[in-house]
Amino acid sequence: MRAPFRQRKERKFIGGYRPRIDGLEKATGRALYADDVSVHHRFPDLLHAKILRSPYAHARIKAVDATEAEKLPGVKAVLTFRDPEVARLRPTSAGWTDGVDTVSYERMMWKKFRDRRVLDDTVRWVGDEAGVVVAAESEAIAEEALRRLKIDWEVLPFVLDPLEAMKPGAPAVHPEVTATNVLSPDPVGGENVYLTKGDVERAFAEVDVVVEGTSTYHNANQGSLDHWCCTAKWERDVLTIWSNTYEADQTRMHVSQMLDLPLDKVRVVCHYVGGQFGRNDTGEQPFYLFTALLAKRTGRPVKFRHTRREAFHDSRQPAIYTGKLGARKDGTITAASFKAVGNIGAYADHSMLALKFAPAEVAEVCFAHIPNLKMEAYGVYTNKLPACMMRGVGNSQLNLVLAHVVDLLAEKLGMDPLELVRKNFGHQWETLPDKSLSAVLEEGARRIGWAEKRHAPGAGPVFEGTKRRGVGFSFHPGWHAAWQELRRGQIQVSLRLNPDGTVLLDAPTVETGPGSNTCNVLGCAEALGFLGIRPEDVHWIASVDTERSLKDTVQTDSAVSFLQSEVMAEAALELRAKILALAAEKLGAKEEELDVVGGRIVRRGSPEPGTDFRKILWQGDLVPIVVVASRKPLAEKTGVPYLGAFAEVEVDAATGRTDVLKLIILNDCGTVMYASGAEAQQLGGQVAGVGESLYEEIVYDRATGVPLNFNWVDYKIPTMADMPDIEPVLLEVWRGAGEYGACGIGESVLTCTPRAILNAIHQAIGVRIDDIPVTPQKILAALRAI
Amino acid sequence: MPTKSKARPKPARVRAGAAAPPLHRSTAPRPERTVTLRVNGLAHVFEVGRDLEASTTLAWLLRERLGLTGLKTSCGEGACGACTVLLDGRPIFSCMTLAVEAAGHEVETIEGVSEDDPVVQAFAGQCEPGYGTAVQCGFCTPGYVMAARGLLAENPHPTLEEVKEGLSGHVCRCGCYAGIAQAVLHASEKAGGRGGAR
Repeated sequence: MRAPFRQRKERKFIGGYRPRIDGLEKATGRALYADDVSVHHRFPDLLHAKILRSPYAHARIKAVDATEAEKLPGVKAVLTFRDPEVARLRPTSAGWTDGVDTVSYERMMWKKFRDRRVLDDTVRWVGDEAGVVVAAESEAIAEEALRRLKIDWEVLPFVLDPLEAMKPGAPAVHPEVTATNVLSPDPVGGENVYLTKGDVERAFAEVDVVVEGTSTYHNANQGSLDHWCCTAKWERDVLTIWSNTYEADQTRMHVSQMLDLPLDKVRVVCHYVGGQFGRNDTGEQPFYLFTALLAKRTGRPVKFRHTRREAFHDSRQPAIYTGKLGARKDGTITAASFKAVGNIGAYADHSMLALKFAPAEVAEVCFAHIPNLKMEAYGVYTNKLPACMMRGVGNSQLNLVLAHVVDLLAEKLGMDPLELVRKNFGHQWETLPDKSLSAVLEEGARRIGWAEKRHAPGAGPVFEGTKRRGVGFSFHPGWHAAWQELRRGQIQVSLRLNPDGTVLLDAPTVETGPGSNTCNVLGCAEALGFLGIRPEDVHWIASVDTERSLKDTVQTDSAVSFLQSEVMAEAALELRAKILALAAEKLGAKEEELDVVGGRIVRRGSPEPGTDFRKILWQGDLVPIVVVASRKPLAEKTGVPYLGAFAEVEVDAATGRTDVLKLIILNDCGTVMYASGAEAQQLGGQVAGVGESLYEEIVYDRATGVPLNFNWVDYKIPTMADMPDIEPVLLEVWRGAGEYGACGIGESVLTCTPRAILNAIHQAIGVRIDDIPVTPQKILAALRAI
Repeated sequence: MPTKSKARPKPARVRAGAAAPPLHRSTAPRPERTVTLRVNGLAHVFEVGRDLEASTTLAWLLRERLGLTGLKTSCGEGACGACTVLLDGRPIFSCMTLAVEAAGHEVETIEGVSEDDPVVQAFAGQCEPGYGTAVQCGFCTPGYVMAARGLLAENPHPTLEEVKEGLSGHVCRCGCYAGIAQAVLHASEKAGGRGGAR
């Protein structure tokens, strides 16, 4: 048994340990995913679409001869970039459909970088979507048809390395957007130097100690098992799309605007989604459009689904960061600067969110007490797969350098790095030391045995002749707290109270795994506590259907766990008033004389036990009492909570192998909405956290730009046997606005893991590794260098 | 229910049509070959060339022809375990098994497992503090449940290390490994095993 977390304020259901509401549905295999609702068993006339993939890192299609492909029995349509219904489509950006909210084409976030075309004749990375797509009776026939295409390619020069791509004369990946491969400043991300404060140059000249470090984050794949897909079907003029998108309403907007269809003629249906992790925030989105066009042309339902190989269409953004800190002898940091060069790959998508937007938010709070600051970033096109959104976008890369330079500075000052952090980091809503950060550091240090296990770098005891151990940590501000929700539109929920006291909860959000559905049910039961309703009485509507549901709250920003519950807390008050009004009518009383407590309608001040509210409802017309609430999320700024990771590693100097012995993952949540779900996030995030630290990296052939490991045999995702012992620690120290004042943690749980492991490796062997994944080769090379 | 036999299944052979009843008695051209599969206790006859090809995987046949969508196909190359079903009581990757190879064998999918099965119940109910849940997105879950049932049939009292080793052919990207291990240990306990949860 492990000790459960303790709530700051005791609540009936919120914050509890309990099974997920969809646990049984999923464990029995009954839960339906987009791939399940579109099998031949359900759609006997289903066609399959396959798109041509580029064999070159950079090329242009001069001509397509599809004669042989069209002749193949079973091929029903071949669509190319020359077809009028394709050619007329506007250039787009995969960053349009950023999840926070529904936006129109005109208001998309990255208007300056509309660098994607549907079925483009130019291809920009090996595996890029090329301008031909086929619909056929089976996937095999569609693939064979693609092989029979005669394509006249014009092969173009390419560049893979971002630093090379920045040099004059480098091949231009998107000459229509930028001649230099560097994305120009834009209204959302800001200038290249996107944040300045004080006078950094002078401050660095005046301080006692300066440290500088670099870190390199390579690209990992999100790795959802449920490959992105859609099935499109037309019935008269209505287009229905079943998909595992995480944003139904935005998908409807996307398809409507690109295909010029009225919103009411596009219906998007989403069921459960088998993992998101940022996967379809960006990457390839044109498939919705060409699948719909193929369905129109053939008059049959058409399905498109990425293969495992095609699921490598987007990744974490690789970033090379340089960080510099300047401090007085007493450890007061007075100057900081960070510069990033991001390899955004072949398309801009949301790269400036990773490179500028997210780090700016971190800097605003975390560096609030550092008087001189400079943040600088460059997004650079290359002929690699586009790289942008993955769990903890932009934060993971910044953290890799932040806790690195902090560790360097502490070493140089001869200070405990925990003390250095407490002394300098927090946010502007609180004086130092920050309570949340202090609690995270204190609890982490206690659990890992910081005081006992720390030793001079590389000077600890030796195990089994060649193995050394070390402990390290990293810290980060919680980033998706209340005010990041400024960009979000209204949150919609409806509560339908049936006359028997059960509740139909329409709190639409595509359930991608994090368990916000269980949070919603707990939030609903909590809010309806005056009715004595239990979570078992609340039925959460699992599928999102734009024809029937309210607008879905988009499953991003790790925020859905509390956003809808906050709205429910308000909706419950309205429901309460309606029940009292009905009760007043039935009991012949005045509303203000009545109250509802624990499910019973009582007269205020009367000792009588009152009447069960169900009885009152049953006397009425049996029409459910419905409350629909729609409002903006709370955006009151109250600071942020902190999170951290502590790691203990064992490094074998003979083989270069690193074993993580222990990980402590700490999150101040404000309010824990659902403890089992939150711990599952903390534990689960480490599959990517440890994976990115030690194993996961997309490898290219430098001579051709061919990615070499777009499969799960050569791209190593940790399995159960690879994972260390992990302790999840939930805290409630900081508090945001609203009923719960919670902060999402789904993304941040893995933000600190890589640097905590790297700092622990430094402790163990006395040398620093600056890029991840830390392979045995890198350890051995670093050891040889000393 | 899985057979209790500890013997490895015989090397699968194509036994298409051999024991299957003819589909038609009419004058229609007699199908060249049929394949009979027993799935969750029911026999299904498939016609080669119409319902499946020699290259059709068991996963495809179960999902697309029979609508048994509890198993998932993800990696398509035996690296994730989401497609796991039991063949004569032993877990196999159905994406790596040809449908014709399963002819004459007993296939059990998640749909054939009762809701009150101790493994299903343990996966659905896991919420022991400190270990998270055994399910998040749920896409890998049916594969894990089938593999865990196979593991417990062979080793009713696994230790934590044996559970880790036994299920390491599966990937849960949501990372419910601690919860899954607890669920398997709890299911073992419930079934009278000695290993028990930590």
